[in-house]
Amino acid sequence: MKVKGSDTEVNLAVQFAESFHRYKPSLFVSVSGGGSGLGIASLLNGTADIANASRRINNKEIALFREKGIAIDSFIFAQDAIAFIVADDLPLSSISTQQLADVLSGKTRNWEQITGKRLPVNIYGRQSNSGTHDFVKDRLHISFSPSAKQMNGNAQILEAIRADHSGIGYVGAGYVTHGATKGIKVLPVYTTDKAAAVSPLDAAKIAEDQYFFQRPLFQYFRAKDSLQIKPFIAFEQSPEGQKIIHTGGYYPAK
Amino acid sequence: MKQVFKTTGLLTIALLAGIFIMLFYNSVSFFFDVPPIDFFTGAQWDPDNTKNAYSIMPLLVSTGLVAFGSMIIAVPLGILCAAFLSELAPRKLQAVLKPVIEMLAAIPSVAIGFLGITLVGPGIARIFGIENGLNALNGSILLAVMALPTIITISEDAINAIPGSHREASLALGANQWQTLYRVVIPAAYPGLIAAVLLGLGRALGETMTVLMATGNTAEMPKGFLDSIRTITATIAIEMGEVPYRTTHYFALFAIAAVLFLITLLINLVGEYAANRLRKFQA
Repeated sequence: MKVKGSDTEVNLAVQFAESFHRYKPSLFVSVSGGGSGLGIASLLNGTADIANASRRINNKEIALFREKGIAIDSFIFAQDAIAFIVADDLPLSSISTQQLADVLSGKTRNWEQITGKRLPVNIYGRQSNSGTHDFVKDRLHISFSPSAKQMNGNAQILEAIRADHSGIGYVGAGYVTHGATKGIKVLPVYTTDKAAAVSPLDAAKIAEDQYFFQRPLFQYFRAKDSLQIKPFIAFEQSPEGQKIIHTGGYYPAK
Repeated sequence: MKQVFKTTGLLTIALLAGIFIMLFYNSVSFFFDVPPIDFFTGAQWDPDNTKNAYSIMPLLVSTGLVAFGSMIIAVPLGILCAAFLSELAPRKLQAVLKPVIEMLAAIPSVAIGFLGITLVGPGIARIFGIENGLNALNGSILLAVMALPTIITISEDAINAIPGSHREASLALGANQWQTLYRVVIPAAYPGLIAAVLLGLGRALGETMTVLMATGNTAEMPKGFLDSIRTITATIAIEMGEVPYRTTHYFALFAIAAVLFLITLLINLVGEYAANRLRKFQA
């Protein structure tokens, strides 16, 4: 069984595949990343059995599946929150969605307006084949500034922000919950009321659907394969699977 | 038997012709949607967000910048190294150095890109006092390392191919070893050295993984070596994976690939021409 797609979900999917193999040694599950778009394309041309996607399948893709006569089914296996991170010496304790939109679209090019500290903004984002990239873009209704750097993955963004005092970037919350946060600050996000800023690390608020950048993580599969895939999905929903989701820094699906 | 050799020979030509036709056929579809003038004069490549923002210029400037920078580093290093190897180095050292240099060519480009992220990039950031070292200079240094084996090997062949009688005549006239090297041997090997540089340049222009990893990939028009850049190759690698099939954007990627293909083809042709002149000169 081949699982392909979102780089955000790849760590989690690897965990699932490994424990699932221990639990049912006759089934091999191989996992690879490459982005949500790639995963869905692989499902379409038959090189994957499950496509991990950190976004909903779009109309263009639905049309392609229909063209090929492939019926697909989906399953939400966990929830992810996108964390906005800056270097920990930036004098900023939370950020509004409006400020985020201005910064990421390139309208605000200096931190002075937001923090009072004169420092040019450096944006570290993902490449356009990333579901995270699309999610942030759609949620804020912006297009990213052309000067935004496009990094290869979450780990590279973390590395860059750690070194760059003026940087801002976004990563899946799973990358910042467990250690690895030295030199980095996760910004709570608010829409209008600064006092109600919500951190992406706040599980209770996420369960209440309170964080602005939270999203369901999908797994798409061909409907005709559902019988074959069922044991894997059942495993993901089992208490053991939920534990993996929790330790991975993700949140359970509602 | 003769037929087998003939077919294999023709097969390579057919492959080249096939790639050529495929690239240009798809590029033509692109130019129906976007006029060539916009393609070559605009200043923005942003197909995701702006309608018809298909200008190759920022990508072309990025590619040119990083390749030019790599040649500034690799050409003097490569030619001097080749001259040292063939004229001055003792036999034993030569026997060690040559395989080591050839091994440099065997390092996968991902590994070099990795070095760029963890070592060269942060080094550049520290030296220049900037926040991030993922820029054109980083790419140039890495590409220089990758082009060096090509430049050194071909330059060394060119210098070695200069007949001993040239050197003997120069020494007999009272020139010392250095004067012989830079007044007689290097000028005589000149066409070969040009070929070496051009083939190295071709390598630098076409490299993808290293620049994708190490240069930051910003689609903005770069202003200097300390700006992040996004080359033609990186753009194709990033966007090809998920571009909707047979759309303007899809054809646009073929169009920029065709431009890159023409540039590297031209450079390789000139390089081959120079190498042939050297052979004639020696015959």
